[in-house]
Amino acid sequence: MSKSSYAIILVIALLVVALLYTPAEKRTDGKVNLTYWTGWTGHELEVQRKLVARFNREHPNIRVRILSVAGSYQKVRIAFAGGSTPDVCSAIWADELAGYAIRGVLTPLDTFMKEYGRSGDEFMPGVWRMLSFRGRPYGLCSTTNSTFIVYNKGIFRRSGLDPERHPRTLAELDRAAELTTAYNADGTFKRYGLRPSSLVFWAYVFGGKWYDEKTGRIAANDPRNVEALRWMVSYAQRYDITRMEAFEQTFGSIQTVSGPFFVGKMAMWTTGEWAEEHMRRYAPKVEWGYFAAPPPPGGRRNTCTVGGSVFVIPAACKHKKEAWEFLNWICGPEAVKEFCLSIGNIPPLKSVAAEPEFQNRPLYKFAIELAGGRNAFGPPPVPIWPQYAAEIARAEDYAMHGRRNPKQLLDEVTIKMQKELDRTLAAFRSR
Amino acid sequence: MRNMTRRQTSRLVKADLRNGLLFAAPWIAGFLCLTAYPIIASIYYSFCNFDAISPPHWVGMLNYRILVTEDELFWRSLWNTAYMIVFGLPVGLVSSLVLAFLLNLKVRGMAFYRTLYYLPSITPIVAASALWLWLLNPEIGLVNELIMTFGKMLHRLHLPAPAGPGWLIDPAWAKPALIFMGLWGAGGGMLIYLAGLQDVPEQLYEAADLDGASSWKKLWHITLPMLSPVIFFNLVMGLIGSFQYFTQVYVMTGGGPQDATLFYALHLFNNAFLNFKMGYASAMAWILFLITLACTLLVFKTSARWVYYPGELK
Repeated sequence: MSKSSYAIILVIALLVVALLYTPAEKRTDGKVNLTYWTGWTGHELEVQRKLVARFNREHPNIRVRILSVAGSYQKVRIAFAGGSTPDVCSAIWADELAGYAIRGVLTPLDTFMKEYGRSGDEFMPGVWRMLSFRGRPYGLCSTTNSTFIVYNKGIFRRSGLDPERHPRTLAELDRAAELTTAYNADGTFKRYGLRPSSLVFWAYVFGGKWYDEKTGRIAANDPRNVEALRWMVSYAQRYDITRMEAFEQTFGSIQTVSGPFFVGKMAMWTTGEWAEEHMRRYAPKVEWGYFAAPPPPGGRRNTCTVGGSVFVIPAACKHKKEAWEFLNWICGPEAVKEFCLSIGNIPPLKSVAAEPEFQNRPLYKFAIELAGGRNAFGPPPVPIWPQYAAEIARAEDYAMHGRRNPKQLLDEVTIKMQKELDRTLAAFRSR
Repeated sequence: MRNMTRRQTSRLVKADLRNGLLFAAPWIAGFLCLTAYPIIASIYYSFCNFDAISPPHWVGMLNYRILVTEDELFWRSLWNTAYMIVFGLPVGLVSSLVLAFLLNLKVRGMAFYRTLYYLPSITPIVAASALWLWLLNPEIGLVNELIMTFGKMLHRLHLPAPAGPGWLIDPAWAKPALIFMGLWGAGGGMLIYLAGLQDVPEQLYEAADLDGASSWKKLWHITLPMLSPVIFFNLVMGLIGSFQYFTQVYVMTGGGPQDATLFYALHLFNNAFLNFKMGYASAMAWILFLITLACTLLVFKTSARWVYYPGELK
């Protein structure tokens, strides 16, 4: 081929590219285009898509485009770093909200909420606390969850326990765990009663706290937290943590018919309201009940932790008013109800949670009481919470394996995280 | 060329240079923007408090000071990485060398065996790691199943029977488990050794045979010296690779149990992408670079004593 024919091909290729390429921003049909990133995937994503389509139909001046960034939440952080954020984002965990808020990359929502006549009172109090940082809301949410214990009634009966009377105190829980634990002839586990995990949760049950909002200080070594960890360690010692872990290696994955609770390898399991759907799907024959984690004397009754995805408007958004319009709608009563009903989550809006569709199902009614109660705890308003939570999990792991004592470990976490928090706060004060 | 004047020649050279640079331009641009710039920027960030969202804020040596004086996981991860280099690297080097010797024998169907042993090293690490999670499962894994069968045989002979360890869930066994798993990828090094073995001149062996040298003598005085440049290459590459040990533990253990497999690169990654302490992670990266550089230089220094290049006078 000659030089000129190459040149002609090149020019044609350029023309084709130029014709195909139309920048999204320039496409003007009078509509405001919004991009919306979500972390949901699978069935949840399909329901989100349906809701977005409905919003677009009902709002002729706005076009929302939904994109799932499931499995790559780092992309969100990088988008913030590069300043090319979506207009609305629900791919942010409640754990991360304070960290984003202190960096000034989110739009505070109080002005919008006032203008639209919405208030924090619409939300469950624990959820609302988790959405605010330094007195201002930075996000809304459309789902929440709760934490409680489910138990296998058949195993309770066979172990000489009354299947209709669940443990009401910590001492009763310990006894039930002991009675329901069973061994094989060779001394390996056939089943264990309960494996306490998640110190963050149990510390709240024991009446502890992770952050002191009055003094603004890290409170990892709160005496009640230490007590909670000591209690967890007592299980590790009584049942031998290495044997428990070896036993856990034989567990099938939770969302299959061979999940350990479904096949009777665990008598009690700390889980959430999705258990109902799981039990129906994977273990329809197992008889089961549920109860809130029972506290020790001086602890908190009906404790649960709440969290989940938060909808935010990044500060770099160019169409804040329209973005709020969408956010307000997707976290409004109608959309929340539809979303929660189709994916089996708890609605964080009190009015929706009070509707018969939720109240007529005993487990949901119970889970809603927990999540909406005064002992529902979201992530504390600590900008370094993800790192802090990882340190707590590390301390828990070390304590459970008897590598150091609970008090010493939680003292170390307190010192380390206080330093980290001080440094973070100082960095944002000096700017 | 003979008929060209000097000016013509220089014009040709210039044109060649221009064309060469033009052809390499995409790579040069990519290298400058995507490699050189981030590397240089990371020096600056290592002296900053930088979370990737807010602008970097100069803090001097603070990151380095915290690493060395406060971060016990920094030392832990450094120790874990050193363990892999001191114990894992020699095991890997020797096993692929032995494998290469075996696959250099003149046996029928050798091409098949070579392929067989090479295959695992081109399996994606993530897939291999997921597979090894199952193999090393202490309760239902194939490895402990074999140990148990072997144990039963010993038991019948009234010998003490070994019990399979907890492998990846036991802090004492997690690193040995990873070293053991690393043997799976010995095919990569094996291939390079094999190429080196084919290059050893046949006449050297013939001469040794005439002198009545034993197989051991031939190995020690001919094969190993002739292979030493290849061993040297594998050692340096293995050293650098070990300092960057990451994917396997990222997939399999996440650094656990109790930080037993928290390697330097994983700790760096966690700081950068979980805690978003980019400045801190940059400081870690530069410390790693300096350590790797020092170790590699050390190996190069000693190489004069044991690496033999044919044609070189000694």
